[in-house]
Amino acid sequence: MSDLSLLLPFDLEERLGRWRAVQRAMTRQRPEAFTRDEWAYLISFVDERLLRAPFEQLSGGSRYLAVPRGPIAVWLPNNVSLLGPLTLILLSLTGNPIRVKAGSRADDLASAFVAYARGVADVFNYVTVEQFDRTDPRNAEMAAEAKVRIAFGGDEAARAIDALPHPLDSIGFYFADRTSETWIERTDDETLRTLARVFAIYGTAGCTSPRRVVVLDGDARHVRDRLAELWPAARDVAMHHASQNVMVRQWAAALGWDAITTSRNGAVLAAGDATLELPRSLFVLPIVTASVDEALATLPPNIQTLGHNLEAERRDALLPRLAQTAVTRVVPLGAMHHFGALWDGWEFWRSAFRMIEVQP
Amino acid sequence: MSELLELPPFGPRDDARFLAEMTELTRFHLEASPELRRMWPHWSDAASVEELPFVHVGVFKHLLLRSRGASHQRILRSSGTSGAATSQIALDEASSELQARSSVAILRELVGPERTPLLVLDRAASLRQRGEVSARIAAAMSLRPLATEILFVLGDDDRIRWDAVLDAASRHQHLRVYGFTSVLWQAWTARPELNGMRIDFVHSGGWKKLEAARVTREEFDGTLLHGLAKESRVVDYYGLVEQVGIVYPLCAAGFRHVPAWAAVIARDPWTLEPVREVGMLQSMNVLPRGAPYHSVLTEDLGRVVDGGCACGRQGMRFELHGRVPKAETRGCANV
Repeated sequence: MSDLSLLLPFDLEERLGRWRAVQRAMTRQRPEAFTRDEWAYLISFVDERLLRAPFEQLSGGSRYLAVPRGPIAVWLPNNVSLLGPLTLILLSLTGNPIRVKAGSRADDLASAFVAYARGVADVFNYVTVEQFDRTDPRNAEMAAEAKVRIAFGGDEAARAIDALPHPLDSIGFYFADRTSETWIERTDDETLRTLARVFAIYGTAGCTSPRRVVVLDGDARHVRDRLAELWPAARDVAMHHASQNVMVRQWAAALGWDAITTSRNGAVLAAGDATLELPRSLFVLPIVTASVDEALATLPPNIQTLGHNLEAERRDALLPRLAQTAVTRVVPLGAMHHFGALWDGWEFWRSAFRMIEVQP
Repeated sequence: MSELLELPPFGPRDDARFLAEMTELTRFHLEASPELRRMWPHWSDAASVEELPFVHVGVFKHLLLRSRGASHQRILRSSGTSGAATSQIALDEASSELQARSSVAILRELVGPERTPLLVLDRAASLRQRGEVSARIAAAMSLRPLATEILFVLGDDDRIRWDAVLDAASRHQHLRVYGFTSVLWQAWTARPELNGMRIDFVHSGGWKKLEAARVTREEFDGTLLHGLAKESRVVDYYGLVEQVGIVYPLCAAGFRHVPAWAAVIARDPWTLEPVREVGMLQSMNVLPRGAPYHSVLTEDLGRVVDGGCACGRQGMRFELHGRVPKAETRGCANV
């Protein structure tokens, strides 16, 4: 960080020390609002090395004075995943006052995590969390006072927030309706176990969750069968999800997929080709055999993350063609859900600073 | 045509006949519906009703199933909350006739055979959608064969047109009223004086809204029947939009009774094995020819009960235990 000066309203080293205390406490106690997987991911995310990383990328090789840009407004809907707490963790290090509009329910993960961390150390002293609905006049208030607007939600909600009057020198980041895919060329057991692990977190519900698995020039049915054998015998899914999986298997079959349910109706694995209509549901994983050309031609227009296990050479050869699509992340399969200071193609964390270029 | 329809609905069952008719009907639909065949590619025969294929109730929200060879008439749509998908059922001529016979046979057993004016708590405009019929109207129309005239008594403002009700009451001493449970409660409780009239109320659609409003069944029935002739009654039945013509009435002992041409079993949601305890209900009947909705796995929970019922009805019966509880979905707000 030698080329970077920070004008933070707190001592960064001391602040990172507080996060170490939060992390230690997190290993001892998990609030009920979080699943084991979610909590484990949060513990790894607040690791000091990861929290320092954005600062190291901030300087970009020149000499800069980074000044907190000003108030940040964050809109989080009710059902938002870990992206809520993860965003707040990173933003809490920028030294800006942060006003969060959480969902109208009290059990959203962002509020739960802020409450938890505050009980351990004062890491969120610049964060205010409020709960109100989309018609509340405080939405306009937040937009009017913020230098940075960050909103998670559907396209419609994002458009409504963007339409609120906001300062000319402010900037908005709208993480709206995006989808992700997995492309694999090797179908070894380790790959398939990783795929099952990634899928188990949110099924297809997260923007970083695979909605489709493309087996490049391989055998989708073989992958489906082996994946079913390796599927983790975890706790039962909720009764509603088990029921929905029975429904989706039938729906998928009717559409032409060769679909099966995993043990105890935990998920639906459907093998087919890239031309079939995709059944949409929480725990259905369509697996298709396709060439690169077919996979590219059927990539959804709102593609965000491409998780893969391609050899570096093949991946790099693909990049110019992927760059023609809307894809914003090309990452190893196991890193699909990894959140960072660069998201959806936007340097939202860096934008929380006003950069003063300093030349000799 | 089903021989079972000749039997009294709640008399002794002919289970062998039911299985034979269901097996034949399933084979017909497997031939006539490519979607059903793709769902059940290996099925060929059943040694018991538990082995009969089913279609999950949610499939009807995604696919309009039709069996080839039927003379399809209209599409029946369920009423959905805003934004939610609704079920679509293709109705056909031959099945409609059987379904009408079925519902009349069941309801006649409950409200008597005499024909009376039928007051429907719905708007007349609901009838006028070309090619489609709503679940509410379909449920009301199941009483049509027992009606001398049908009056739609809900105004455009969702309030009862009491002038129409009072007019019917001035001309007749015995009326029937059909409404969705919650609509009936909301609309009828502010009724004017109808003392001494005989009114039979038939309602369906579930108890969820009234449960939320803390209205008990005793309060519901008592309020409706207050001041009316002692022969008046309230009939609550359970039925699926996806299984027109089959209604499962609630008896005084608290059980839902299954007519001789239908069957109900409960399945474990995680294994789909038949269970004797509470499970997801699978509802079957021998009537539908136009689409494979003869065997539907519902998202309603219930328990099938053995032995004779204190109400005197024979055959199969079950308890209803509400719906499969919804589970929260977390994601990126775009699910």
